[in-house]
Amino acid sequence: MLEALLGALSETLYMVFFATLFSSIGGFGLAIFLILTGPHGLRPRPGIYAALDAVVNLLRSFPFMILMIALIPFTRTVAGVAYGSTAAIVPLTVAAIPFMARLVEGSLLEVDPGVVEAARSFGASDGQIIFQVMVREAMPSIVLNVAVLAIALLGYSAMAGAIGGGGLGALAYNEGYIRFRADMMLGAVAVLILVVQCIQICGNRIYKKLR
Amino acid sequence: MIEVRNLVKFYQSEPVLRDLSFSVAPGEIFGVVGQSGAGKSTLLRCFNGLEPYQSGSVQVMGREVARLRDKELKELRRDMGMIFQNFCLMNRKNVFENVAFPLRVWESHPALPKRVRRFLGIGETADARTRARVMELLELVGLADKRFERVQNLSGGQKQRVGIARALALNPKILLCDEATSALDPGTTLDILQLLQDINAHFRLTLVVVTHQMEVVKRICHRLLLLDKGAGLRLGRTEDLFLSPGGMGRFADEEYARLPSGVNIRLLFPREIARQAVIAAMARDLGLSFPIVGGKLEHYIDDVLGFLIINVPEENLDTVYGYLREKNLRWEALDDA
Ligand SMILES: Nc1ncnc2c1ncn2[C@@H]1O[C@H](COP(=O)(O)OP(=O)(O)O)[C@@H](O)[C@H]1O
Ligand SMILES: [Mg+2]
Repeated sequence: MLEALLGALSETLYMVFFATLFSSIGGFGLAIFLILTGPHGLRPRPGIYAALDAVVNLLRSFPFMILMIALIPFTRTVAGVAYGSTAAIVPLTVAAIPFMARLVEGSLLEVDPGVVEAARSFGASDGQIIFQVMVREAMPSIVLNVAVLAIALLGYSAMAGAIGGGGLGALAYNEGYIRFRADMMLGAVAVLILVVQCIQICGNRIYKKLR
Repeated sequence: MIEVRNLVKFYQSEPVLRDLSFSVAPGEIFGVVGQSGAGKSTLLRCFNGLEPYQSGSVQVMGREVARLRDKELKELRRDMGMIFQNFCLMNRKNVFENVAFPLRVWESHPALPKRVRRFLGIGETADARTRARVMELLELVGLADKRFERVQNLSGGQKQRVGIARALALNPKILLCDEATSALDPGTTLDILQLLQDINAHFRLTLVVVTHQMEVVKRICHRLLLLDKGAGLRLGRTEDLFLSPGGMGRFADEEYARLPSGVNIRLLFPREIARQAVIAAMARDLGLSFPIVGGKLEHYIDDVLGFLIINVPEENLDTVYGYLREKNLRWEALDDA
């Protein structure tokens, strides 16, 4: 049983790690665009902002199960395969990018507009303001949000079993639910709880250090 | 230094600045006073292009702000420092890094990490120069020993000193101050005003001081503009405005909120007669006595000046008016409260 749990754990961590990594990068980039073009942004572009905003909302309103299945052709092109842990990273990332974009947008919006204005007042460029002022000031809060993202992805990854992604979710479902193995079910849940705790504690630690 | 002609600004359809015209001379401390919402901050932001304006002209050091392209506007901003009510420092950086930030912004290749620049052999001398400049500024504002302190751990006055050092980092010609002392206690306010005066005197820096605090303009401004709902109500030398009858209108009225009924006369003491015992002489000459019911002796820049309010009984009014006219004193009768 321990072996099964460890195997499932490593599959889960593999999916969550890479999906978090890729969606952090993607979500961060998208958030920069949202912030730049937003109503109080450095380069307000109501049209572009409204479009990005709509896409983000649309993607976020898809139930993950449906998104995962709808993305199968896309997944096959990107990952080369449509099933398995590696393939699961693709829909996980796609689902998490708009989520992360919103979280990072929120973090960046929390930066004191006065500090941004001060930077403008001595001639900083938009790029310098975004990266050297806003991102820098918002970093602790962004780190906390990466932890939130990773935990959400942990939840989503449990559904990746549907496309053969494996992991703790699949183990709990296949062994615990279908085969009535209560010990497997409890074990998988316990390990999941542990992983969530670890991620949150790491996030908080880094947050405290950065602040 | 700054020339404003018929400046008009709207937020949507709401007029915020209505047809302002005035100029700020090199080396002077120019005040803009008015109540909250009068448009002071907006006016200040038109000077360095943080806010656009719809019509009229704002020329700063000979350049029309609205017509500057991106790069030119940045260069203009390099020549103008700005300090803020809430200091607007970067909380995650220490004192040194906050002051160094404008310098880094204007360095070449500031985005490359220090190690990379060192490897490529660029920025070594710039780093040394930045260090020297920051230390010079921190000495000036008296925070050299706090250079590694995080700004979160500083007091309000210290934060504003960091703000001032940062604003001076690029050697600006003009310093814009937006309610720089409004978040500070009275003692600290005086220290910061002193520092601003020293900076003005030593570097011949032009200061534009925006505030709702009368005390501040009285103490340091050479000239001032009184702003009310976006319109310029008064413009002139601080002393003249505060000492001329009705000069500051209802804006300087807080001092006599509770005067006794009857006729109250405000006697003004400009420089030349401030130290004469005017009231005592009048009482003696007329054989009358008047209660002094209000007044203030104040610092206008570096002179003690002020006014006293006396209460005069109806029946003696004509005698008193006659005496005041004859002696050529500056005075005004106050409306009944
Ligand atoms: N970004 C904005 N959008 C719309 N109205 C604004 C904005 N900023 C300021 N105002 C309005 O302009 C007026 C002047 O504001 P401000 O210049 O901040 O006044 P002050 O600095 O004198 O207190 C106020 O009535 C305020 O409500
Ligand atoms: Mg203001």
